[in-house]
Amino acid sequence: MLKRFLLIRGTELIAFTLLGSIPLMVSNSYALGLLTLLAIYGILLIGLDVTVGYLGQVNLAQAAFLGLGAYAAGLSISLMGAGMFSALAVSTLIGLIFGGLLAFPALRLEGPQFALATLSFSALTTTVLNELEWLTSGAQGLHVIRPAFFGHPLNANGFYWLCLILLALVWMSMRNLLSSQWGRAFEALRDSPIATDAMGIGTYRHKVAGFALGSALGGLAGGLYAFNFQYLQPQSFVYELMVILLLGVVLGGRKSLWGAFFGAALIALLPNLLSNRLLFKAISAFGLFAAVFAGIRGLMKKTTQPFQAIAPIAAMSLLVIGGMMVENTEDWRKAIFALMLFSVVVGLPEGIMGFAARFLTQLFRIDPPNLPPASALEDALPAKIPDQKPLLELKNVKRYFGGVKAVDGVSMTIHSGHIHGLIGPNGSGKSTLVNVISGLYDPTAGQMLLNGIDLPMGMYKVSETGISRTFQNLQLFSELSAMDNVMAAMKGVYHAALPLVLLGFAKAEEKRAQADALALLELVGLQNYARISAKDLTYGAQRFLEIARALARKPELLILDEPAAGLALPDVNKLVEIIWRIHKLGITIILIEHHMDVVSELCDVVTVLDGGRVIAEGAAEEVKRDPKVIQAYLGTA
Amino acid sequence: MLVVENLHAGYGASKVLEDVSLKVAQGRIVALIGANGAGKTTTMRAVSGMLKPGKGRVLLDGKPVQGYDASKIARMGLAHAPEGRKVFGPLSTEDNLLLGAYSRLPLFFGFRTKAAQDLEKVYELFPLLRERRLQLSGTLSGGEQQMLAIGRALMANPKVMLLDEPSMGLAPVIVQEVFNTIRRLKAAGITLLLVEQFAKSALEVADYAYVMERGRIVAEGEPAELQKDERVLEAYLG
Repeated sequence: MLKRFLLIRGTELIAFTLLGSIPLMVSNSYALGLLTLLAIYGILLIGLDVTVGYLGQVNLAQAAFLGLGAYAAGLSISLMGAGMFSALAVSTLIGLIFGGLLAFPALRLEGPQFALATLSFSALTTTVLNELEWLTSGAQGLHVIRPAFFGHPLNANGFYWLCLILLALVWMSMRNLLSSQWGRAFEALRDSPIATDAMGIGTYRHKVAGFALGSALGGLAGGLYAFNFQYLQPQSFVYELMVILLLGVVLGGRKSLWGAFFGAALIALLPNLLSNRLLFKAISAFGLFAAVFAGIRGLMKKTTQPFQAIAPIAAMSLLVIGGMMVENTEDWRKAIFALMLFSVVVGLPEGIMGFAARFLTQLFRIDPPNLPPASALEDALPAKIPDQKPLLELKNVKRYFGGVKAVDGVSMTIHSGHIHGLIGPNGSGKSTLVNVISGLYDPTAGQMLLNGIDLPMGMYKVSETGISRTFQNLQLFSELSAMDNVMAAMKGVYHAALPLVLLGFAKAEEKRAQADALALLELVGLQNYARISAKDLTYGAQRFLEIARALARKPELLILDEPAAGLALPDVNKLVEIIWRIHKLGITIILIEHHMDVVSELCDVVTVLDGGRVIAEGAAEEVKRDPKVIQAYLGTA
Repeated sequence: MLVVENLHAGYGASKVLEDVSLKVAQGRIVALIGANGAGKTTTMRAVSGMLKPGKGRVLLDGKPVQGYDASKIARMGLAHAPEGRKVFGPLSTEDNLLLGAYSRLPLFFGFRTKAAQDLEKVYELFPLLRERRLQLSGTLSGGEQQMLAIGRALMANPKVMLLDEPSMGLAPVIVQEVFNTIRRLKAAGITLLLVEQFAKSALEVADYAYVMERGRIVAEGEPAELQKDERVLEAYLG
């Protein structure tokens, strides 16, 4: 534990101290300029990584936010005579506001459409900056005077230190944010938007917040950019820069602060280093060496395909040979970038940092941080005393899809404390009914009352009322660990406001959430798999994990949609055991299931659907003898 | 017809299969049963080439096929009806079936007549699919989709068919229908390797069975023998 802390925090401390002390050791204004640019790009890429890495969207607007921030800072000085601090505040705020405005429409889009929306925003931005000549002096460019910092004029060293300190602050607060519930929510969104809403995380809210935050960092970087170059032109913020920024994030490694830092180093330093022939040869030789090393290592461990190993080696060889033939490497800069990008995307899909992190944690044998002891189950999931009264009443609920009447007038009552079975042939409307109750679909007609109050519309709102569910086709947050899956859904633990989270004062509730999550994992028998990614669990374990995650909502009513589908007998027995345990906690359960022995063993009442209507209801033994049920569902075996 | 010898396989660093050997003779139905995570589906994926096996041999009709691409193994006569049915939802039933025969049908001339013959065979086996031939397969019910997945595999006119969890998520009455389908396949002389959670029903239709546990074969025999085995009885047959 201590080793982990020392190695990780220690490396960060050493890196920043080293960077900070360079101006004291060498006085080279050219090198200092590059380092300043590194710090600025670092902030910019950390912001971009929120959308690209965590939200998993291709964002092409970050260069535009850099430009907006830069012009905002420059203009607030020339028009209002602002000081450095307030100018930077203005540029951050501009990034935040425009980011939020763009996010509202853009984040309703997915994938390519989102990329295009951000692309059009940046085209719009550069055009406006260019054409508003009375304000920005257009293509002629805007001169910016570097203002004093609280009355002290800053020389080059001082400004570099300011940039570095801001990078360190951004670094620390982003680390706090991304290791909190927020970071988990961002990743959950990427893996399963349906489940994020059902688990009460609020898809849209988090997407907008994440995007606005990233854009605010873009604005801040823009302010620093303006003071660094002291001359702005709209042409500096066009497509070319955007592509290079994206390249930096992918090359460095997504979802990693160090990745953003390396990406920044690459795009700030590399073009300049490349102009020196000797350095270029050294770098390309090193690249070839790295490609050969990574390729052979991957092939030996059988983690890479032959193509993945050979392609980067070929690309890097091309770079070495090309370096010998070409006179002026500066002119070939973009081709060089292209070859490097190709090698990294093929050979190291998780980026330089992703690869290095894996390699280093193995090398130093860094263990994951310790887990707190599990909470007592009654703390994580307080038992309820069921009163046998009606909990959920459905009155003539209908849901049509075009002409298809999937649910056609279902009325049923779920009593508190019961396990209520819902069976019927495939396509009889069971899953549709459950999707209507949980808010995934709006009902076409009918009334649904929970404790006598109308259910709200929409999954997110329903999830707040005390209804929680699992999914027939698993909807886990596949990249997150088992424990993080449960923590992401945890209700009633996270209270800290965003500023406190950024400052790192939310660690206590994080520990509490971990302890509670472990208690729930214990309930379903997964306590020893807390650190395993959901996608690496066996099928049975994934089914059980969904139940644990649904329980993290502390539900009054739990809907289990075919939890035994695909489970073999030993696991079916385990499942029955788990459902009994949940039942004993006083939680009401709706169970959709095809295994009739499970249904008859567990359920107090069984409702049978066929063709979207209720054809029978009663105790399991009664229903089983009903001729209509035998004909439609059970068969005569 | 299908021989698997000492097969090892896994995902990345994690080993799933260790030393799996089994045989499926011409015209027989062989069942593979075991708990979740025992490696049944992985065995099927390693045999059909969707997962590259580490060590060991897979012989299809006497020819080694291990390490080949899934599409090549499929062309050599092995059809895999995967877990969860995986029909092409936005396409019609008939288009789904035709895609099953994709590697065999002539590209231009004679496509229609040849395809019609093949379709006829499948429709004879599953008359219900003929009624649904123009319906989008995504809107079929679970049982119909399962029939379609089997029918699509049959369209390749395979020497061996792998059938993974055909009863998953289906209503009891449809599960019976699926097992009737398997009996019909048996009567039609299809060679079949079957993975199934309903071990009891699987043993009823199978000629021979293997039991897997933690990536190894731990028991094998005629269904009648296995049903007498105390351990198998307790763990899988309930």
